[in-house]
Formats: sequence, structure tokens, C-alpha cells
Amino acid sequence: MGARRVLLIAVLAAAVLIGFVAVQNLASSAVYYLTPTEARERNIAAGTAVRLGGQVETGSLRYDPQTRDLRFVLTDGTTRVAVIGTGAPPALLREGAGAVVEGTFAADGTFRATQVIAKHDEQYAPPSPGATPSHQTP
Amino acid sequence: MSFSFADLGTGALRAALPLAIWGIGAAAYAAAKRDGRALASARWSALITFLLVVLAAFAMIGALVTHDFSIAYVARNNALETPLFFTVVSLWAALEGSILLWTAILAGATAYVAWRGTPALPRLATTALAVLFAMLTFFLLLVTTPAADPFVRSEIVPLDGNGPNPLLQNHPLMALHPPLLYLGYVLFSVPFAYAIASLILGEGGDRWLVATRRFALVSWALLGVGIVAGSWWSYAVLGWGGYWAWDPVENAAIMPWLVATAYLHSVMVEEKRRLLRSWNLSLVIATFALTILGTFLTRSGVVNSVHAFTQSAIGPLLLGYLVAIVVLSVGLLLWRLPTLRDTGAVGTPLSREAIFLFQNVVFVAATLTVLLGTLYPLIAEALSGAQLSIGRPYFDRVEVPLALALLFLMGIGPQLPWHGASRATLERQFTAPIVAAAGGALLAVATGLGGAFAVLTYALAAFVVATVVQEFARGIRARRALHGESAGTAFANLLRRSGRRYGGYVVHLGIVLVAVAVATSQSKTIEVERTVRAGDQFDAAGYTVAFGGLRSVSEPQRDLLVADLRVTGNGADEQLRPALLFFPNATQAVGSPGIAAGLHDDVYTILVAYDTTARSWATVRVLVIPLVSWLWLGGGVVGLGAVIAALPQPKRREVMHGLAEAPATVGD
Repeated sequence: MGARRVLLIAVLAAAVLIGFVAVQNLASSAVYYLTPTEARERNIAAGTAVRLGGQVETGSLRYDPQTRDLRFVLTDGTTRVAVIGTGAPPALLREGAGAVVEGTFAADGTFRATQVIAKHDEQYAPPSPGATPSHQTP
Repeated sequence: MSFSFADLGTGALRAALPLAIWGIGAAAYAAAKRDGRALASARWSALITFLLVVLAAFAMIGALVTHDFSIAYVARNNALETPLFFTVVSLWAALEGSILLWTAILAGATAYVAWRGTPALPRLATTALAVLFAMLTFFLLLVTTPAADPFVRSEIVPLDGNGPNPLLQNHPLMALHPPLLYLGYVLFSVPFAYAIASLILGEGGDRWLVATRRFALVSWALLGVGIVAGSWWSYAVLGWGGYWAWDPVENAAIMPWLVATAYLHSVMVEEKRRLLRSWNLSLVIATFALTILGTFLTRSGVVNSVHAFTQSAIGPLLLGYLVAIVVLSVGLLLWRLPTLRDTGAVGTPLSREAIFLFQNVVFVAATLTVLLGTLYPLIAEALSGAQLSIGRPYFDRVEVPLALALLFLMGIGPQLPWHGASRATLERQFTAPIVAAAGGALLAVATGLGGAFAVLTYALAAFVVATVVQEFARGIRARRALHGESAGTAFANLLRRSGRRYGGYVVHLGIVLVAVAVATSQSKTIEVERTVRAGDQFDAAGYTVAFGGLRSVSEPQRDLLVADLRVTGNGADEQLRPALLFFPNATQAVGSPGIAAGLHDDVYTILVAYDTTARSWATVRVLVIPLVSWLWLGGGVVGLGAVIAALPQPKRREVMHGLAEAPATVGD
């Protein structure tokens, strides 16, 4: 009976510990998916990882293959966000087409993208002004 | 009237549906009344249903091969220029075809139980047969109604079809990965059906478990190899240099595999120690429910993923099916709980059963935490409307420590006797492995592996390998002493005669290969990105990459923009052709990596961007990924070990035919 109790306590302790670690990390790993307008309204703090969905503003896409400096403006029709990234844009990234960027806002309000994803296929509809980006894009 | 594949397929499926419904009643009656004629009727229903569904699947393949665009599925997933190979595998390239394949496998499993299972265990297997017929009926309803009818006619017959999803016509693994996963998923229906039958009959014993142990093992192995094949596909096709993204589709496949792994181990505790009866039933139910949950997640389009290529009416139906299965199974289990008393007693915390218990807890915790991370975005969206995703950091931080804990338990569990270990046993079993673990840690540090987790992985990997080598050495020595066999013969006989035990060790070695591959590739990959002009060359982790220029290639079904790269150094000299693929019916270009695979490392090249006006430059990303090929190798070793463990063992009289086998040999 003693052995059984020791085991039970150990198993419960392990379960509680794992649950605690999981919930802790869940909160810190959640990346919100917002439109530029929502990001502005929520006043996302600098340094918090978020995902922004919108369109690449026509005429704004610049990439310098030598410095690998990538810049464009992401817009949802209401709010414009200057995006700065490093490295070549995905081949599918086009002006006027949908894009999703992941990264953080810098103190000056520009968005430092760690990841730029083009949303360019027929199943994706760029978000209408003010709308939350579609969650069901493949 | 002329012949049409659509009519043939529709006709076959519509004929199969009433047969399956009849089968439920016939099998249930045969089990309740022990009626031989009803059983014969159920058996023939099962066989004919299976043949009809296979006929429907071949009708679909016939329609695909003849480009019969009067069928909407063919028009959407095939084009005149699609190569024959990808035309045939398009059977499972989209929702309706996948469900048809699923139905065919399930019908095959039903027929197998009807003919091979029922003679051995008349009441139990016949009841299980009724359960299987009920599940088969659900899937036949899907494929004969608009929910997933694969033979819906095109409204307007196009001159040419859309062709398969570009991502799915790019690699031969497409032929292997989905069917393996489906086989794994669906074959687990058999242990589940036996478990439910045992609950319905109130047997309380472990006959269901012994009878389906091999089915569970085979389905687990197919699922595991299917998962590895999927990550290989992702690595070779998607051009991101990774193989696992904690994508909901991947999670959907790994969750049932994790619970099934726990089950395969706790089964031994029930067989040997008469413990964990209700727990084992719960694991089987959970595994099966997770296969349906996975199908629901991937097929209904509720989660954001490249695999969720369809959003259709099937979602609510699968959800309803899942809820029905969970409610009925859990209800049955609770009802029968009083009959499921454990008769054995657990040993000390240093006994094999205690380690198996911990191992089960960790596997279930890993499953639940993956489930939490997968479903949390859906729950958050439903509750607050906020859209968010749970990224890799969550899964990496939670699952990596759990995986290391499992690696540790994998090393000590098989080394401990049932009931409990003495101090002398501990010393005998663990002296060499602990020395090996220290060696593994030193090796990791010496090769410049960064990170505590990576060093720990190496230490634990060496620990496990040492325990396995020790086991084989002792087994061989014992056989040589007893039977005077040569070392080679003794080794072969261990695998052949005690396959369940030694096959299990081979599986453990495969898992070690996977762990080492993941730890090394995750911590030591070197990435270089360069913008180059024709004739330029640059260095990447000791390799020299020379860019020969860009060129266009035209193939019947697609156009390619190829970057010619020559990779030399470290004994390699290979021409790589990373490319962008343009399909006529897709607005999206698809990147295709060029890979020089090696046992030591892979050179993985991606064409990231290029000068669209003059083609004067290209941006190329080069990843040097160490030991990644060990991952696929490890998957193969796991499969091999499972085959060794599943093969019938000679000289042990089989108690029951076909499904059943002699009592366990693990821990003998």
C-alpha cells in the first residue's frame, strides 16, 4: 500500500508540474493575429510578438539585394504600418496582394518583421478595411 | 447507355451501404443468439461490402487515369498533363478521395475480422464486427451523400481539369505518406471495436487486448512511419529546411501515435501484472477518438494549415461522429467500471510496472499539452473573438523536456524487473549505461553542440543504446551457453524467437536515432543567404557553393525557373537545382529545394528571390543541416523493429488463429 501511495503522489506531482509549465508557456507563446487598425486600437506594446495581416501597399515594396534590407507598407485600408525586415521577400510577395508579417513593433512605431508570409492564392481574400484577417486561409 | 466510371463507383457505394447496415444487425444477432447462419450472413456482407468499396476506389482511379472530367473530383484534382503517377495518387489528394480510401481500408479491416477474427473468439469478435459495421456505415453514408460523395458530376464538363494542388504533385512520397497515415488511423478501429465489444459483453478480462495486440502494434507502426514520411515530405517539398512545425495537421497525427505508444507499453502491465485494466480501455478509446479528432481538424478547415485544403459540409458530421463515439465509449466504460477490478498489485517505484506507469503519464501529458496548444486558438476565438496562434516556442518548451523524460524512462524501464529491483540488480543493469551516458555528454560537448537539452539528449541516447547493447549481449551469451549457437545465429534467434522483446529494443534504437537527429539538426544548422550573379561562389560551413545562373525549363504540366548550383567540399561534388515551379492553374509559384543528402549533413538550397526583369541576380539560401537523414533512417528502424515484434514467433503454439498470439514474451 505504501508503494502505491508513493507512486500516486509522484504521478500527481508530475501531472501538476507539467500542467503548470504548459499553461505558463501557453500564455507567453500566444501570438495575436491582428489587422493594423486593431493593433493601433489595442496599443500593442513595443516588443510584443504579434502577427499582422493586410495588403502590401502599391508602390511601397523595396528590397535591396546587397544589404538585404526589405521595406514595405502594410495596410488594411485604414491604418498603414511601415514594415522593416531582413532578407529577400518571399517570391510570392507582390504589391497590392495580401501578406502576413510576424514580429514586433519598435518604439518608433515601425514593425520589425521576423517573418514575412505572402498570402497570394485564390482561396485567400485580403481583409476588408477593419475586418479581422481570415483565419481559414490555407 | 455507355459505360461510365461515375455510375460504376456510385452504384458500388450505394450497394455497399445497405449491406453494411444489414451487417450491423446480422453480427449483433449472431453474437447475442450465437446464431451460425446470421454470422455467415454477416461475414459475406463484410466481404462483399469490401469488394464493392474497392471497386469504387478502382472506378475513381479509372476515372482519373482516363481524365473523366465529368466527375467534379477529377476535374478539380486532375489535368490532362498530370503525370500518370500523380494522377493515380490523386485518389487521396483531396477530401472525397481520402474518405473513399479510408472507407476501403475500414471495409478491409471489417472483412478481416469477419473471416479471421470470429472463428477464434466467436462472441467477442462477432460483437466487435457489429461495431465495425456501424463505423463502416457512417463512412459509407459520407461517400453516398453530398458530404463526401467522390462521384458528384461536374455541372459543366471542362475541357481540362485544374490539376492536383501544386504542393501535392511534387514528390514521390505523396504516394506513401497519406496511405500510411490512413492505414495507421483506420486499423486502430480494430482494437477499439474489440475493446467496445468487451465492454458491451462485460467480459472484464484482457482477451480483447491479447487478440488485438498485433493489430495495435501494426497500426501504431504504420502511423509512426507515416508521420516520419510526412515530415520527410515537408522537408523535401516545402522548402523551409525544417521537418516539423507543430502544424495542426502534424499535431493531429502525432497525438493518437503518442497515446498508442503509451498503450503498447501499458498492455504489458495488464498482461503481466493484471493491472491498469480500465486505463488500457481508456487509452484505446482515446487513441481512436484522437484519430477522428485529427480527421475533423484537418478535413473541416477549422484550423489554419496548408493541409486543410477543403472546407466542406463534412465538418459537422465528423464532429457529431466524434462526440457520439466519445459519449458512447465513456458511458460504456463507466457502466462496466465495477467489472474492471485490477487483481494484481503494483510493485515498488523501482519496478518495471512503476516506470511504465510514469511513462504512460508522460505520454498522456505530452498528448494533452499538444492538444491544448492545437485547440487553444479555436477556444480563444470562440470565447473572445480574438485570433491568435500558438507558435513553436510553446510546443518546443513543453514537449522537449517531456521527450527527454521519455528517453530517460526508455532507458531504465526495460532494465528493471517486475515487482521491484534490488540494489545488486541496479548496479548490474546501470553501471555500463551510466558510463555511456557520460561519454555521450562529452561527445556532445566535444562536437560543439550548444544547449543543455542537446547535451542531455546525447547523454540519454548513449544511455539507452548501452542498455540495448547490454540486453543483446546478455541474450546472445545466454543462447550460446544454452544451445551452443554462434554469435550470429544467437542474434538472429533472439530476434526471431523473442521478437516482441528484442524487436522492441530495435524500435528503441530507432527512437534514439530520431532524437539525436532532432537535437543535432536543431542546434547546429548553419544558414547562409547570398545574392549572387552567374559565376559567383561562396562558402557555407565548409562547402563551396557556385552559382551557374538561372534558366527556364518547360515541362508539360508546369514551368520551372531553375538556379544551377554546384556544391563542392567535404568530399561532396553535386549539382543542385533549387527552383520555383509555376503551374498553369495556380496563381502561386511553388518553391522546390535542391538537396544534397548525406549521412553527416544535408546541404539544403532554396531559390528565395530573383531579378524578375533581367534575371541578372538570384538570392539563394543555403542550409547545412547535420544528421537530418538520421531522422528518416530512425523512422525506418522503428518500422523494422515493429515488424520483428509483430512477426509470429516459431515454436510457440498459437492459441487463437490470425488475430491472436501466444502470451507476451517481454520481460521473460
